[in-house]
Amino acid sequence: MFSLFYGLWKHLFSKTEFHVLILGIDKAGKTTLLEKLKAQYSNVEGLPPDRIVPTVGLNIGRVEASNTKLVFWDLGGQLGLRSIWEKYYEEAHAVIYVVDAACPFRFEDSKSALEKVLRHEDLQGAPLLILANKQDLAEAVSAEELAQYLDLKKLDERVFTFEAVSAYDGMGIKESIVWLVEVMARSKRTEKLSVRAVLTNPGSA
Amino acid sequence: MGIMFTRLFSSVFGNKEARILVLGLDNAGKTTILYRLQMGEVVSTIPTIGFNVETVQYNNIKFQVWDLGGQTSIRPYWRCYFPNTQAIIYVVDSSDTDRLVIAKEEFHAILEEEELKGAAVLIFANKQDLPGALDEAAVTEALELHKIKNRQWAIFKTSAIKGEGLFEGLDWLSNTLKSGGG
Repeated sequence: MFSLFYGLWKHLFSKTEFHVLILGIDKAGKTTLLEKLKAQYSNVEGLPPDRIVPTVGLNIGRVEASNTKLVFWDLGGQLGLRSIWEKYYEEAHAVIYVVDAACPFRFEDSKSALEKVLRHEDLQGAPLLILANKQDLAEAVSAEELAQYLDLKKLDERVFTFEAVSAYDGMGIKESIVWLVEVMARSKRTEKLSVRAVLTNPGSA
Repeated sequence: MGIMFTRLFSSVFGNKEARILVLGLDNAGKTTILYRLQMGEVVSTIPTIGFNVETVQYNNIKFQVWDLGGQTSIRPYWRCYFPNTQAIIYVVDSSDTDRLVIAKEEFHAILEEEELKGAAVLIFANKQDLPGALDEAAVTEALELHKIKNRQWAIFKTSAIKGEGLFEGLDWLSNTLKSGGG
């Protein structure tokens, strides 16, 4: 009983930790984004983009932004590896979906993978940040144009936004994270997840 | 004094040292991988009782690679080697589907170890040259890699005999160790 109260107390007065999934098809720039996040928000240097190889597994970034602890899970996006995404849904507070905005011929692939993500019940109510990445390239489409291409329906229940970013030079990333932290802080899903964490694991919530 | 200069030298030129354990069931191909990495050749091996240790210099990192014997009776001794380990390479015989369940159990027992909490995990889905070898998605599923949520992991299809996939794995490992760990 004590540990339940202790857990609750800790939960109320310590910094919340948010888990954010970084998803998207291969070559979208997920790991480059992760490394840029590390570089911008923590003392870790972060790998330069030319050293990044396709992810076949899980990369993790722990940073502090807007007085909040964020844990980013970057999962590999190749077709065969997408089946593991859903195993991480249950514990995720929000999703960042990265799209290579300079590569229109893969928008369809991006769209169907995203629709599959959004249909999954383990992600119900999770805020969604869609990034039109690679804005450093001249041929990249804007966030608005990408929104038109993806033409997402049935998102009314879910908080979401589109942002134009470049994981390569860092453009737009800070604004996106500010938005994300804000919506996560007041999302119902966050409430649900933290209640569950207190109940299942009182000491370490 | 000499040590100081060595340290200074290696910090200037980016030479890092990392202690890597190669683990896995018996007959997974650990020793073949070790010598393929170290000499670039396939050596004929016998079951390892005890350990082999070699240094592999790659991407400015000096990997001290420990290959520990994988038979049931000697697996309990693995833990003697756990302290100060930066990464684990877990080798699986992808064609030995009957023993994947045991491979999974041993693997998750290793991950529970306090002394390995900070270690990055690289999985080699080895023996891809054999017919019926499972691909990386299937091995990921069989080993239940998705249960790992607090450290970085990666899986590569390898064939130690043909020399495929091994250095791709080391590339990942050196990137991960350089970008701040497990």
